[in-house]
Amino acid sequence: MILSAVTFLPLIFALALAFWPNERTLRHLALGFAVIEFLASLAMLAQFDSSTAALQMVEKFPWIERFGISYFLGLDGLSLWLVLLTTFIMPIVLLGAWNAIENRVKGFLISVFVLQTAMIGTFLAMDAIFFYLFWELSLVPMYFMIGIWGGQRRIYATVKFFIYTMFGSVLMLIAIIYLMFLTQETLGTMSASILDFYKLKIPFVGGQFFTLQTLLFFAFALAFAIKVPVFPFHTWLPDAHVEAPTPGSVILAGVMLKMGTYGFMRWTIPLFPEASEYWAWLFMTVGVVGIVYGALVAMVQPDIKKLVAYSSVSHMGYILLGLFTFNHFGMSGSLYQMLNHGVSTGALFLLVGMIYERTHSREISKYGGLASVLPLFTIAFFVITLSSIAVPMTNGFIGEFLILLGSFKAEPAFAYVAVTGVILGAVYMLWMFKRVFFGEKGELVKDEHHPLHDLSLRELCVLAPMVLMVFWMGLFPNQFLDLSKASIDHLVNDRTNYQLVIKGQNDLGPETKTAAISTQKTGDAQ
Amino acid sequence: MNFNIGLADIIRISPMIVLFLASLIPITIKVLRGNREQSSEATLFQGLGGLMAAAILHMTVYMALEHSSNPMIFANALVIDGVSFWVGLTALIASAVALMLMHDNPSTNGEQFSELVFLTLSSVLGMLILVSAADLLILFIGLETMSLALYLMIAMSHEQKLSKEAAFKYFILGSFASALFLYGISFLFGTTGSTYIPEIVQQTGQLISTNRLFLIGIVLVIVGFCFKVSIAPFHAWTPDVYQGAPTPHTALMATAVKAVSFAAFLRIITTKSLVGSENLFNFLQWLAVLTMIIGNVAAIIQNNFKRMLAYSSIAHSGYILVGIITVGVSERTSFGASGVIFYLIGYSLMTLGAFAVVSLFEKNENSKIQIDDLAGYSKKNPVMALCLTIFLLSLAGVPPTIGFFGKFYLFTSAIGEGLIWLALWGVLNSVISAYYYLRPIVVMYMKEGEAGDANLEMGATRFAVFASAVFVVLLGIFSGPIYTLVEKALS
Repeated sequence: MILSAVTFLPLIFALALAFWPNERTLRHLALGFAVIEFLASLAMLAQFDSSTAALQMVEKFPWIERFGISYFLGLDGLSLWLVLLTTFIMPIVLLGAWNAIENRVKGFLISVFVLQTAMIGTFLAMDAIFFYLFWELSLVPMYFMIGIWGGQRRIYATVKFFIYTMFGSVLMLIAIIYLMFLTQETLGTMSASILDFYKLKIPFVGGQFFTLQTLLFFAFALAFAIKVPVFPFHTWLPDAHVEAPTPGSVILAGVMLKMGTYGFMRWTIPLFPEASEYWAWLFMTVGVVGIVYGALVAMVQPDIKKLVAYSSVSHMGYILLGLFTFNHFGMSGSLYQMLNHGVSTGALFLLVGMIYERTHSREISKYGGLASVLPLFTIAFFVITLSSIAVPMTNGFIGEFLILLGSFKAEPAFAYVAVTGVILGAVYMLWMFKRVFFGEKGELVKDEHHPLHDLSLRELCVLAPMVLMVFWMGLFPNQFLDLSKASIDHLVNDRTNYQLVIKGQNDLGPETKTAAISTQKTGDAQ
Repeated sequence: MNFNIGLADIIRISPMIVLFLASLIPITIKVLRGNREQSSEATLFQGLGGLMAAAILHMTVYMALEHSSNPMIFANALVIDGVSFWVGLTALIASAVALMLMHDNPSTNGEQFSELVFLTLSSVLGMLILVSAADLLILFIGLETMSLALYLMIAMSHEQKLSKEAAFKYFILGSFASALFLYGISFLFGTTGSTYIPEIVQQTGQLISTNRLFLIGIVLVIVGFCFKVSIAPFHAWTPDVYQGAPTPHTALMATAVKAVSFAAFLRIITTKSLVGSENLFNFLQWLAVLTMIIGNVAAIIQNNFKRMLAYSSIAHSGYILVGIITVGVSERTSFGASGVIFYLIGYSLMTLGAFAVVSLFEKNENSKIQIDDLAGYSKKNPVMALCLTIFLLSLAGVPPTIGFFGKFYLFTSAIGEGLIWLALWGVLNSVISAYYYLRPIVVMYMKEGEAGDANLEMGATRFAVFASAVFVVLLGIFSGPIYTLVEKALS
């Protein structure tokens, strides 16, 4: 029950908000709801058993029996932290956006909660169609968030975001349907469960593009690559980020981009191991290109928010690089970097939002000398900057270090290029920091008619957990990684024959069953 | 000749008989009152009552006689089976909704409302004949009964110019299509010696590759259908007629008429009838792709809301044609057909809803609703704006609405039969369609404006909108059982 509760509580909250009569207390109510949701997810964490890679707390009921589609929620080390990241960021977003959203507050809060259900559902659904449902549903609230509460070019940005993402996902839908027919062929009954998908042995022919596994692989990979976004498909991201309201940006960068990298981890790599290995060079290349390109473009941005958006492209490049190293360092580094990026980039967008609320400008050239006017704000911004450029003792360091370690082990050539991203990252972030906070006071800072006020208590409450997480995750990474270790080990070691079982349910059974199927298949081949 | 009409036959067509009698009630009352209209509410209730009685009979008769051995009645003229049950029910419900819109819409209410109700019910009678026809001539009679009533209905609109043009265009092109259809029937009769559809279908596989005249016949029949369901390049009448006709009539044409025409299409393209004829298969395949592309691309540049929905309806015909082709190549009887029928149900629901919202906006009989007229609607009337959003997202195929599951079932069958190519075209087209379906949403929610409903109360229309929206979501989430029911009815 706990997983259903975590997934669908926000939807119930959204309904409750829709019928809440009092406009004034809406925000308080929503904040309370988000905290309740976070506590519920902590209860889920408390029940989590880190010693096994099997799916836990599984809930499975038939939904559309005709096609073997089920209501199937499950939790393992790969999804655990992403769910917690989602529930952790939501109360912060709501508190951070207290004044950012002024009109149509009710609609906004409903969108946030519907989006939360969609995101958590994406991380927990273990049935392909059920997963697809949440995956597509997440577009709608984000579409409204950017389109209604966004900036000048919001309509262009939001339509681009919607169409781009939908284009990727419909190809995935075709691939999912095809896989469902494959399960019918090999297992006798049609099924959309990921556990049955893992049992499929899809023939792979290297060197040819129009072969079964390669096509299916690219259908999935394209959907996820657009969401991440991987280098040539990234153009929707800066538009969406710049136009989105602060809370929208935080959710987009903090959680929604991870849906793509999570998709690679959960679906693409274990489902199509040979194709993933064969095409790893391609994804490592675009990952590395993304790292360098994102950093270089970030360097020349005149707009702080756009700079942070391009830094996202760069950071997501690391995650992709780590995933396709296929070793323990790279994989766990990627998982960790997903969380780091959620915390540090989320916090950066919140900080940018705070300064924007004060001055209504995001142009770097109009600032300067902020440090002397807003000391507390400067400290918070500095800590997050350090985390973003991966200084040791902060969370970013652990993630990038593990990823680089992993890629040195797998393909040193890519690591040589990727390392430059660390330096470039420091360059664009610190240069921006210098221009905004030090030096001569900019026109907005010395404007005497509009004196700037330092962080309020509310804003401190927003930033404190983020800063805390930066150091906690930087100093004690094992507290986080240990819980995912079993799952990552399983993914790394058994990648070519990845199977997932449901905890406590015939732990031995499925393996013997797959063995039987594979012998039967070889029998057919002979 | 000796005709034996059994009681069982009469019972099975009792919905049609009831519908016919009910259609006479309002018009008779009008005559008895000395050619004065009774109140439009009373007329509406008589019409709705007739439709509801027919629907209830339709269901009870089907349930009661489901397991009897012979579904054919009247010496093989009519067949009462799963297709006729589900699509007939869809048509009855859709016409009931359309009738509610007619009552509220300024271009259809007022004088001559009793005549309108009479014509609507007659048209539905034609639809019921059409979905259960097992003989080409009966099928033709059903088609003409339905269409003739529609021509009159459109021409009767209080709107001055466009509706007359629409009626005329619809009449000319409709007659042309009927002529083609009849001509095709004569070829089929000439080569097979029968107008009984199952017999013709049985010989299709063998004759289609050997007999040119038979091929001409079947192509002409198919082209006739393509006109009726607006498959490109036979779609050109659709935008003008859908735009010019009063919105309630457009709703009726886009849903009930289209659904029953496709059901009749299913009678001719049945299991395996496309196997063995590569040319016919390719012909239909390209028609489907062409229709999807033309419908979706042309919809992008429309500014008139009804015209946009007209092109969207053309695009949806393309998706459904993919399903029909699946049926034609499939070996399993119910596999593709249940996808088509489920899609027809879903499509009818969301299209009715969308047209009902358009109808809400029409302040007088000459209203032309542009998409930009919706600006700011979400502030003025959040519930209706949300309903329209649901319809449009459902038309675009976003889960968890019925539109998504309709497409899912349709394309799943297509992929199951190896038509991945067509399914790919289908999903790529739904991405294109997302662009124009999002536009009204953008205008409603993201632009400032003073859009408001017409000042009339329009309670029935509002009810129809709300109910359709609820069903679009609920039938989406619980689509499994419905699909299984449809599939069971067809096998």
